[in-house]
Amino acid sequence: MPFSVLILDDDADFNSLLTDIFEQADYIVTSITDPIEAIEVFGETDYDLVVTDHRMPEMSGAEFMKAIKKDKPEVPVIMVSGYLENDTIRELISEGVGGVFLKPLNIFSLLERTTELIAEAKRVDSCSNGNSEDVGGEDTGAQLGFNFRSYPCKSGASASFAERLYSLRNFKSTLSLIGESGMHYRSICEDIREFYESDAERFIYFSADFFTQEEALSLILKAKQEGAQRVTCVMLELETMDVSQKTLATKLAKNEDAFGDLGLVLRSVFCVSGDLDLLFDEGLIDENLYILMGTAEVRVPPLRECSVDVGVMAQQLVVKIAREKSLASVPRFERSARDLFRQHSWDGNFDELSATVHKILRDNPGDVITYAVAKSVLNASEGASPRTRFESHLSTQQVNYIRAASILLGGDHVKTARFFGTEVALIDARMK
Amino acid sequence: MQEHRALILRSNRFLGSSLVDKGLVSTSALEEANGKFMEAIQSSDLKRASILSTLLFDLKTMEEDKLLDYLVDELKLGLVDLNFMELSSLRPMNVDLSLCWASSTVPFDYVEGTYMLATCYYMSAPVIKYWEELLDGRLIWYGTTISSLSRALERIEEIHETEDAAAEDE
Repeated sequence: MPFSVLILDDDADFNSLLTDIFEQADYIVTSITDPIEAIEVFGETDYDLVVTDHRMPEMSGAEFMKAIKKDKPEVPVIMVSGYLENDTIRELISEGVGGVFLKPLNIFSLLERTTELIAEAKRVDSCSNGNSEDVGGEDTGAQLGFNFRSYPCKSGASASFAERLYSLRNFKSTLSLIGESGMHYRSICEDIREFYESDAERFIYFSADFFTQEEALSLILKAKQEGAQRVTCVMLELETMDVSQKTLATKLAKNEDAFGDLGLVLRSVFCVSGDLDLLFDEGLIDENLYILMGTAEVRVPPLRECSVDVGVMAQQLVVKIAREKSLASVPRFERSARDLFRQHSWDGNFDELSATVHKILRDNPGDVITYAVAKSVLNASEGASPRTRFESHLSTQQVNYIRAASILLGGDHVKTARFFGTEVALIDARMK
Repeated sequence: MQEHRALILRSNRFLGSSLVDKGLVSTSALEEANGKFMEAIQSSDLKRASILSTLLFDLKTMEEDKLLDYLVDELKLGLVDLNFMELSSLRPMNVDLSLCWASSTVPFDYVEGTYMLATCYYMSAPVIKYWEELLDGRLIWYGTTISSLSRALERIEEIHETEDAAAEDE
């Protein structure tokens, strides 16, 4: 689970260096150069740790720490400085500083102390909250004993999901992830990969655009040559694959034919968007896959069930995009903007969230993403023009009619095409 | 039986998942049972296509007693031994015997608008739903063993054959 860190240093270069260090260690970072602004931001956001400079023009690090500790005394603080007397260091520690680091920094010690302080704070927090009941609550963060990044796991649904995946990590041959459209299956599978420490573990990703026997064999054998002892083949959007690809997926999962004797362990992860029973009735999932997928099946929670996570996921996306765009600073969400994101239904799940954050950053919102900016982008996505809305509505209805007819005709696309008096290719395209 | 193929697939899939979820069977045992189940389905031997009997009798990776204990203790279900029940034809209820084989379930009595059903697949939601939609009336469910159910269905088959022979004689 990624933790969030607030960095305060009036020296922009050093601030940027600290930001890079923490971001590369996979923390979610908010970097600020002004202590007054930092106090305000700290009050609005839940941080797991604060790193502050000691010598700043407006106020000292000690004064800043006192100000924020009044509000949330449980959040650990690390102080960095160019030079400090031993007496000052002792004084700072007695006032509650969790660690003092002098420049030039020992990065490893800094990150090690960060991990210790956060773990310590969480332990204290967990004890004072009466321990493990948190996982079921929507508004509380769950402490997982393993890394999980695709969901921040601050809500009950995502924490249970992560724990279920972890409990199934040693699945023998197949694992199925079933969710709504727009889920971030690839990130989830990357999390599963992170459950294993061994380098001999390899994950290979396939989708309708890239999945033939030759491609699969070539990648599996390449992984074997590189030392992989177990290869997990992830089938993304299985329901959109054609019949031959689904047959191939079944053979791969059962280690049959060309996949039978490759001298390494082969496993499969099936990722499907939609109701599996409906997909089965529509003929988009065949009997073999339907049964194979029942062995170890996990429901992926939609974002609307993880509203607490949404704010953190949005900030993670901002950090990622800012890094890609090489922005000087990473914009942060105003609390009201974050609340707006939490309340949104996100019917398109992660894809919709990602598209929305991209749209916000495309318009360069500055250092703070305000409620007004977030609202206008969400409105633009929802509203469109009346004509576009109606077109979208009719298109959805059309697909629903085709799916219903297909189910009633036993999933036979030829019969369905005949029923509507159209081409089979058109039915195939609509059903995808 | 072929007309119940989808129900067989669905009910067995759900049963397998439920058994794993409740810790009554391991994932690897279910994987193996699924394989054997699909072999039976593909050979059109639908009467043999049961994940439960595969787990109990072929793979011996599950004990029926534990399943029955779970039904009684956790799901508060009563049990019935059909060997001690007087059975009659299913025809007055408009129930197809092949459906009973397909869903490992049999309505064994009907009293004042209430059907008594015995099943080995109580943990499979599609089975319960299917019968609830099929029968017009109140349903009281009982758990039973596979051998008790199989013997009961064979006895009902004999009753139907006797009925058919009598009809031919007339």
